[in-house]
Amino acid sequence: MNSHHPDTLTLMEFSAGNLSAPHGLCIRLHLDQCADCRSRVDTLESLGAVMMESQPQTDMPVGMFDTILSRIDSEASGEDQQVSTAAKKSRRTSPLEKLLGEDLNSLPWKRQMGDVSVLDISDRFPGQKEQVVLQKLAAGGKAPSHTHRGEETTIVLQGAFADQKGVFNQWDFVTLDGEVDHKPGAVGCEDCITLSVLSAPVRLTGTFGRMLNPFIR
Amino acid sequence: MTTLDTKPARAEKRKDPWSQLLEKVGKNQDREAYHALFQHFGPQIKYYAMANGMANHAEELVQEVFVSIWRRSCLYDWKKAAASTWIFTIARNQRIDMLRKMQRRSAEMPIETEDLWQIPGEHENEPVTSLHRLMSERRVRDSLKHLPEEQITVIAKVYMESKSHQMVADELNIPLGTVKSRVRLALNKLKVILQDQNV
Repeated sequence: MNSHHPDTLTLMEFSAGNLSAPHGLCIRLHLDQCADCRSRVDTLESLGAVMMESQPQTDMPVGMFDTILSRIDSEASGEDQQVSTAAKKSRRTSPLEKLLGEDLNSLPWKRQMGDVSVLDISDRFPGQKEQVVLQKLAAGGKAPSHTHRGEETTIVLQGAFADQKGVFNQWDFVTLDGEVDHKPGAVGCEDCITLSVLSAPVRLTGTFGRMLNPFIR
Repeated sequence: MTTLDTKPARAEKRKDPWSQLLEKVGKNQDREAYHALFQHFGPQIKYYAMANGMANHAEELVQEVFVSIWRRSCLYDWKKAAASTWIFTIARNQRIDMLRKMQRRSAEMPIETEDLWQIPGEHENEPVTSLHRLMSERRVRDSLKHLPEEQITVIAKVYMESKSHQMVADELNIPLGTVKSRVRLALNKLKVILQDQNV
């Protein structure tokens, strides 16, 4: 499988708007940087549009269009322009920056053990069942060997890491499930920071007998 | 802002009628064009809301989508998406937004719906991309006609009822693997799967 990109079926769920917010965020951050996947999502969105137009017809209540027109008219003149300027400006700011601020390195990281630091940001996504975690592996560092029990979706936000499956660079997308026993190590001279969405906890397979957080999830 | 007038007439022909109408709304606040869009897409959006179990809010969703179309129409660029696709993404985003508001989550979430679901459009002024998009729209419409019913059913549930592949499997009482393989077969024919793309 194409392990550095989201699976096409996942892109489909994204284009239909069916993923949880944190999972959607991982995809969105990848799309920002990946023209191939953007192009696939374009096609999938057209598929959504074609599905929408091929459904049964419904009746519209009389007077609804007038209601819409009066809503538009009641908005102060010039607001259209303001809204769109604000929208353009807002879209230039990365969702990541809106969520976490400009500097990932200065977040209140919690040193987990050795080279691994974590920051649980699940509470930024109220009402979600999944756990959302930032993980930082110090430059040149290694995480202990572990197995993933549930499904984990990860995107590399900074630096790079390598495991048995290869090297994962910034904005690469990684999906892991129960079968993987992996031992990632940071590559390059930067700390490696990832964002992960986890559906279930992780079991350590190495010498560490207790549950630890990410890179270990 | 637009280079449309300097484009050859050939490009002009690729525009479908809805995209032309939407462009008129964006450029001239043309209310007749807006009304034509409402008559065509309004019922589709209402159906979309109902299929999503939002029957009580279906008309509200139609209103929100159309107010949003009016406000954003000046950002619409036919080279980036056909009107139908552009409107589908607005309907999808407004649906998600409305659900969020109903669950009173919007206040706590630091990122807006659009930040997550609207794919970034600023990189994509390359002619190759525009052509690809326009072709993909037509290709999808044409090849959908040739898909077997069972594949269309699954895709409809994903897009119209916002069901995950697992939920579709549960509802149709078939294994998840079967749902996935139906979707893969369909996407292969629609040439969404990467290896089939030459652009």
